[in-house]
Amino acid sequence: MSVPVVAAEGVSKWYGQVIGLNDITVDVQPGVTGLLGPNGAGKSTFLKLITGQLKPSQGTVRVLGEPIWGNPALYHRLGFCPDQDSFYERMTGQQWVTALVRLNGLSETDAVEAARRALDTVGLLDAADKKIGAYSKGMRQRVKLAQAVVHDPDVLVLDEPLAGMDPIARRKVIRLIKGWGREGKSVLVSSHILHEIESMTSTILLINNGRILAEGNIHQIRDLIDEHPHTVRIQADDPRRLAHAFIEHDGVRSLTFEKGAVVVETGKPDAFYGRLTQIAASGELGEVHEVSSPDDNLQAVFEYLVK
Amino acid sequence: MTPIHDQSYRRYAGVRQEPGAAWLVIAATGIRTVLTKKFFWLVLLAAWGQFFVRAVMFYLSANFSNLDLLAPSVETFRQFFEIQEIFVLFVTVYVGSGLIANDRRSNALQIYLSKPLTRAEYVAGKLGTLLFFLLLVTLAPALMLLFLEMMFSASLAFVGANLFLLPAITLYALVEVLLSGFTMLALSSLSTSARYTAMLYAGVVLFTAAVFGIVNGITNSSSLAWLSFRANLDQIGDVIFRLQPRFESPWLLSVVVVALLIGLSVFVLERRVRGVEVVT
Repeated sequence: MSVPVVAAEGVSKWYGQVIGLNDITVDVQPGVTGLLGPNGAGKSTFLKLITGQLKPSQGTVRVLGEPIWGNPALYHRLGFCPDQDSFYERMTGQQWVTALVRLNGLSETDAVEAARRALDTVGLLDAADKKIGAYSKGMRQRVKLAQAVVHDPDVLVLDEPLAGMDPIARRKVIRLIKGWGREGKSVLVSSHILHEIESMTSTILLINNGRILAEGNIHQIRDLIDEHPHTVRIQADDPRRLAHAFIEHDGVRSLTFEKGAVVVETGKPDAFYGRLTQIAASGELGEVHEVSSPDDNLQAVFEYLVK
Repeated sequence: MTPIHDQSYRRYAGVRQEPGAAWLVIAATGIRTVLTKKFFWLVLLAAWGQFFVRAVMFYLSANFSNLDLLAPSVETFRQFFEIQEIFVLFVTVYVGSGLIANDRRSNALQIYLSKPLTRAEYVAGKLGTLLFFLLLVTLAPALMLLFLEMMFSASLAFVGANLFLLPAITLYALVEVLLSGFTMLALSSLSTSARYTAMLYAGVVLFTAAVFGIVNGITNSSSLAWLSFRANLDQIGDVIFRLQPRFESPWLLSVVVVALLIGLSVFVLERRVRGVEVVT
């Protein structure tokens, strides 16, 4: 087995009386690894420990064989895409990525060139000179990815990179992440949606209540997921026409409407997401703006796992 | 269609800056951003107004013997700094209030600090931006005035007779801008609103001056001058320029207050400048 990209040994993190991570020992191997867990499970805490933004209360975190805490020189080899929006809305995508890559030590000229390449990689070159404030949710996620890869890191840490994206952008980003994995980068990507993680990798770390529940290639989770209904909220131009198309789908168990959105409960998430992507790509039922999935589905599975 | 992995990345083959130089990037970016604002150029022009007036006075005194009263003295340079105080306040508020607050509002710290940049470098970069402009309205014109005096009089007599003036100008300017800079950065790190930070800073300066003024009026004594942000600088300035201190409070106490304020600001910055805000 090769040297682990990330090695956490006996790592705990407390926020005062609240425990964020509880005595985690895990090795993350090269390649794409999914970090899967419901909201509040400790995913973001784990990723912030890996990127050296938090100091473990106990234990050690090593990245590429070196301790990450207090070792900014190692950040040259790391790319981090946080879950929160972190933008200056008045800057253009090009300006923002250029400014950030300069912190990696690139000269002004090289930084401009590197930023253009990174924006091209994530499919945002056409919008490079637009202000970030005018970007859609999917574009904002992609410009965050651009700043994470712009300095060509060996390890990419992506916190919920698909959150809120429309199906087309989601597909593009999944392809990008898989592509980076094929190029030899190690990617650690978090999500609370198994379907998303599965489309990128079969290597999964399951995390809940601050503990790693399981790691490796966990196909059994698939079966468990399928036993629980999966809820998807779709924000679109015409939710009622979308709903009409979904009714014909045999996996759909229920449909409810919210303002500008339809919430679908399905027993066959794979097939459903496939159909949704087709509909969004064709554009025949209007534009699909945002797809999100509450983590209740996964929570049910985790509750089952820890029984 | 090109496979996605072929569209991706080429390894950077250029020369990377040495670690520890990232603060320069932060400072340079900050300076450039401020310089794009036309209004700020007007402020700078106004801040240099006194320099131009004094330069003319120096010229006249050097060339017309009947205008000796315009000749420079140590007090001239001390007064120069006193008049510049208003611009120091304005530049500190205008440039400094958003330096960290805006980054906090847009969650930029989390991304900045995931780059090869230490928190100390980040603060140094922000401080560098503010100090650049503060020195531009204090140290730079004062030194240029001293230089002009030598040029216009074609003599080293004045400088020779006041050899302490060059280090005094430098030292006082540094004390003034470091106190203003650190205090403003600390306040900026406490908020996500540049406007609120600006009001807070102006409030600290004006409120402490008002408190001292009231106490001074009631007691007819300036022994509590150390209560005022500005009075401490005035007191230290008088000593640095070898003049009689204007207040009754010990000037060493003012030095201690200034050092404590800078120390407190560094402590606040250490606590507040973090990629991830930890609430316990």
